[in-house]
Amino acid sequence: MLRKLLNRLEPSFLPGGKYEKFYVLFEMVDTLLYSPAENTPHAPHARDAMDLKRVMGYVWLATFPAIFMACYNTGFQANTAMAAMGLESAEGWRGALLGGFDYDPNSFMDNFVHGLLYFLPVYLTTFIVGGVAEVVFAMVRGHEVNEGFFVTSILFSLTLPPTIPLWMVGMGILFGVILGKEVFGGTGKNFLNPALTGRAFLFFAYPAFMSGDAVWVAADGYSGATALSAVAQGGVEGILANNFTWFDAFLGSVPGSLGETSTLAILIGGLVLMYTRIASWRIVSGVMIGMVGTSLLLNLIGSDTNPMFGMPWYWHLVTGGFAFGMIFMATDPVTAAHTNTGRWIFGILIGLMVVLIRVVNPAFPEGMMLAILFANIFSPLIDYFVIQSNVKRRQKRRQALAAR
Amino acid sequence: MDAEIKKNITDPLVDNNPITWQILGICSALAVTTSMNTAMLMSIALTAVVASSNLSISLVRNHVPGSIRIIVQMIIIASLVIIVDQLLKAFAFDTAKKLSVFVGLIITNCIVMGRAEAYAMSHPPKLSFYDGLGNGLGYSVVLLVVAFIRELFGAGSLFGVKILPLVSEGGWYQSNGMLLLPPSAFFIIGLLIWAVRSWKPAQVETPTYKIHEEVNPQLV
Amino acid sequence: MGLVKDILAMPNDSQTKTVVVASMLCLVCSVVVSTVAVGLKPQQEANKALDKKRNILQIAGMLREGASIDELFNEIEPRLVDLDTGEFVDDIDPATYDQRKAAKDPAASRALSKDEDVASIRRREKLAAVYLVREEEELKTIILPMHGYGLWSTMYGFMALEGDGQTITGFGFYEHGETPGLGGEVDNPKWKALWPGKQVYTGAGDVGIELIKGTVSGSTPDAQYKVDGLAGATLTSRGVSNLLQYWLGDMGFRPFLNKLRQG
Repeated sequence: MLRKLLNRLEPSFLPGGKYEKFYVLFEMVDTLLYSPAENTPHAPHARDAMDLKRVMGYVWLATFPAIFMACYNTGFQANTAMAAMGLESAEGWRGALLGGFDYDPNSFMDNFVHGLLYFLPVYLTTFIVGGVAEVVFAMVRGHEVNEGFFVTSILFSLTLPPTIPLWMVGMGILFGVILGKEVFGGTGKNFLNPALTGRAFLFFAYPAFMSGDAVWVAADGYSGATALSAVAQGGVEGILANNFTWFDAFLGSVPGSLGETSTLAILIGGLVLMYTRIASWRIVSGVMIGMVGTSLLLNLIGSDTNPMFGMPWYWHLVTGGFAFGMIFMATDPVTAAHTNTGRWIFGILIGLMVVLIRVVNPAFPEGMMLAILFANIFSPLIDYFVIQSNVKRRQKRRQALAAR
Repeated sequence: MDAEIKKNITDPLVDNNPITWQILGICSALAVTTSMNTAMLMSIALTAVVASSNLSISLVRNHVPGSIRIIVQMIIIASLVIIVDQLLKAFAFDTAKKLSVFVGLIITNCIVMGRAEAYAMSHPPKLSFYDGLGNGLGYSVVLLVVAFIRELFGAGSLFGVKILPLVSEGGWYQSNGMLLLPPSAFFIIGLLIWAVRSWKPAQVETPTYKIHEEVNPQLV
Repeated sequence: MGLVKDILAMPNDSQTKTVVVASMLCLVCSVVVSTVAVGLKPQQEANKALDKKRNILQIAGMLREGASIDELFNEIEPRLVDLDTGEFVDDIDPATYDQRKAAKDPAASRALSKDEDVASIRRREKLAAVYLVREEEELKTIILPMHGYGLWSTMYGFMALEGDGQTITGFGFYEHGETPGLGGEVDNPKWKALWPGKQVYTGAGDVGIELIKGTVSGSTPDAQYKVDGLAGATLTSRGVSNLLQYWLGDMGFRPFLNKLRQG
């Protein structure tokens, strides 16, 4: 049925057809639903059920636990805050839509639906604004719309605080898609992760909406520190003083960016990705090793004035965007290192930088975004040296053989 | 002669712009473009220095020994820059204070040296003067455009006069803090170059290497 | 004239000509540069002095449209104070005293130990320039210079106090390099407007004034000592609190203010 419809529509999108310019849109829908018509007819064949679309589809699926927790926790935080402030109902359109629901932080549904009303607008804005930019570029440049954008859009929206104004979301994704990706030629040619580029833009452009204590809980005028900013202020005791336990932070029932709070949900997605070999386990392990090593070292050095020095590695793991960045951002196949040795180095560099930025830099308590972007810039260089050293080693071996 | 003067002035405005085409003088363009005031003063200072350095270097060009020619140019440029710096400190103190070292750094601005060596050393004084003027104006155009964007959207004002009332002061405009940080000038200059080259495709450089054609029969 | 012609006629690469051209050029350039520098010096000095006066007037809230700065500044009496004893020092002219230079000069300043250095300024000058405003012999306003480290930069500012040395009438920075939008909001007129009326010392004589996280409301305890912190700029806010603590404390102006109060 559908196939027939698509086949019937195809001529009008082909060159000379009525909608020639919109071929990219047609191609996008067509190949999303069916496997592409062109395939490699001659050797060498890569026998794999995975094409880029399927890869991106899996990544998308893998974010589901995080999305789920994003909705639940955003609502949970908002409802808890409202209960604490004695508010009966949400203001504005959310209040109107939530007419049939209570605001009980103990009720799962209440929390989930309330949070959904925060996540959905952010995601839809990201998707529509970024999607339009993507399609326009595809039409002008004559390349295909790439499903990478599905992933970019979901990752981008999950890293934002729930209270972010929607127009900022739009600007962020525009910046990410255009300057992070399209100016370099589109998916596969970008050297920075577009989702993170967009987030970094917002972080520097509108710092008051992306950091601080007032933006993480979706209730007007309520300020709740994230676990990470609590450590920055008073060490691990600082977090415990805010009534967070490590387990809270692991499960994700603490204030924070939409999808970054629940380490558990992220790890579930991460396991799927690593099992299907979409995410490189080398990168993930590298990040972990780098982070654990650096934080142990800093624990050992210690500091009287900076409580962050004493932050143990298992707290680094569950706070801020560490887990999310490690699983979903660092493993982006385009912007990470491409050689296996390079992936180790790339991962370790991220782990090292994230702890250094969190601990030593006074201005940015959250270091994951900057650490990954930093490593992105270095990944071509890492690959270059890995390949060069490989070439040299083989040359030596050949010379040794020839000399015999 | 007149046609050549005109060409010397108009050419560097867009077609042969020192910043967007020759990619010279970027450093100061990052530092002084947070407000129109500083950008304007910097533009005037630089234009004055390029024009007068071109003029004076061209005047002595026939008597400059080749072995010390760069040093001679440097001394002339440095003297002119010091004079301009002193004048600004005396007559435009407030803005000059914000420009701090960047007026002094005009000495190292590649546009000045570049024009002296590439043009003034081999052309008569009048032409050289107009060439310096044109290049100074070309630099100014870019500086002012960048500063316009940065000040308007970063601080909601132009020449210090509020245009967009800021949220933090009771208005509606949420200022974009990144535009007040130096990297934003990179983005803006990059986008400007993009825009100019889309408008004048002749400026597009041939790529240093070729990316393999995408194999898709429908799209070719 | 013949000589000049002879030299100009020489081939450009001859050694004599090279030396002559180089020395003539240096001579001409140095004469021009030094003439300009010397000629403009008075104007520049005047500008600098005017700029400082304007900063002081602005923070004291005495800047009026239309009135000349020099005229307004005539109402202000600059004095030098020995920070250790709190006594006025009269043998140095306050108009020529450069406090920032003194803070770096080992002879005119003292190094601070780690415990003393709350404001992270490392060295403190011995003498500070304060500015007094009198109305019919009654001390009306005291303007004190203050500086301290924020997040990225040393912030320089003034605090204006009423004659009792207790009530703030104005506070602000005239130079800093904090992040625009976060710490840079120390320049926000709305934030500066929060200061007038705040009290400096608590009943027990401690420095009470400080920045808190969030906003001060009617229900904040001891609201007269608290000012809103800068949203999202914890470290700049802390820097401001620290420098207040320092400059209003024993190492800063407390001895002077005590002396002043006793008459």
